[in-house]
Amino acid sequence: MNPLTPVLALIIFGAGTIAGALGVALGLGGGIFLVPFLTLALGFPLKSAAAISLSTVIATSSAVSARRAGNQLINLRLGMVLEVATTAGSLLGGITAQYVAETALQRLFGVVSMAVAFAMIGRINRRNVIADPAADPGRLGGRFYEEESGGVVTYRVRRLPLALVASFIAGNVSSLLGIGGGIIKVPVLNAWCGMPLRAAAATSALMIGVTATGGAVIYYGHGDLRPLLAAPAVLGVQLGSWSGSRLAENTSVKWLKLLMAALLAVVAVLMFLRSAR
Amino acid sequence: MNRLERAIGAVLRFGTVASSSLFAVGLVMALIGYRDALARALLEVGLVILLATPATRVVVSVIEYVRERDWTFVVLTLVVLLALGGSVAAAYL
Repeated sequence: MNPLTPVLALIIFGAGTIAGALGVALGLGGGIFLVPFLTLALGFPLKSAAAISLSTVIATSSAVSARRAGNQLINLRLGMVLEVATTAGSLLGGITAQYVAETALQRLFGVVSMAVAFAMIGRINRRNVIADPAADPGRLGGRFYEEESGGVVTYRVRRLPLALVASFIAGNVSSLLGIGGGIIKVPVLNAWCGMPLRAAAATSALMIGVTATGGAVIYYGHGDLRPLLAAPAVLGVQLGSWSGSRLAENTSVKWLKLLMAALLAVVAVLMFLRSAR
Repeated sequence: MNRLERAIGAVLRFGTVASSSLFAVGLVMALIGYRDALARALLEVGLVILLATPATRVVVSVIEYVRERDWTFVVLTLVVLLALGGSVAAAYL
């Protein structure tokens, strides 16, 4: 495969920076942008691109969660419960990826990016759901101080089985395609399980580290995850997500979402075309 | 902030800083061709630390739940560790 030249390292680093910044601005991981870039623009096999992307997912999860630990946004107990499903899913996905044909993975990536594009357009005006502050959080619910409203938000977790199913699917897709899987979990937790968006996103961000590890370790063992290629991607994504949190405050997220939805639709079409070749 | 959150925060912070530093140093050394074998070793160790960080976070959680005698969560976190162990097995078997 490609030997690492300074130019290639710089390109991967730059791609990681952009993917990381966009990811933070949109509340996604960067993988959904990094994987298609590595495969479509640089010609990496999907497995190798997914492996590199998973290592950036782990790095982002650790960095973001380290900053957030202690402000109660991360629901540790719920996270631990759902991680049982995500790691089972990612173990299965990681094993499957070794036997599935490249073209099948490309088609699956096409389907998922198309779905994400539609989900992004559907949620374009979505605001935070505030639960009744007097509610009893129960065994798995949570409570956190919300800066915007200046109050304490309390929520209960409903429909746990649904959250578990979504987490399993997210884990599976994560390993196969090298994305974090937050794009599947966060909308489900927010829309159907009663979690405020910020808590759902923070809890998901913590979970994707363990989820991605399940897949990344399998790629590493099979020689598909090379440190020389992962390093520039990880450093780029770290820089991108650090600077992206400022971008998010200054840009109209609505237009950014529309733009990204269009971009993902293009990615989906390109993946389908490539799989048909 | 409770003990578990503080411990998890510390593990994640250490893992992030250690792996990113090793990546940065190793990558620069590899690119300028300075002591190539050492550069590769640094990158390899950085990657292993990166991969081990989330798993260590789960181990720390198991220990804390045992201390709190919260057996339901001891079992749940052990199952997560078991699944990660399954990935390691799938990687090398």
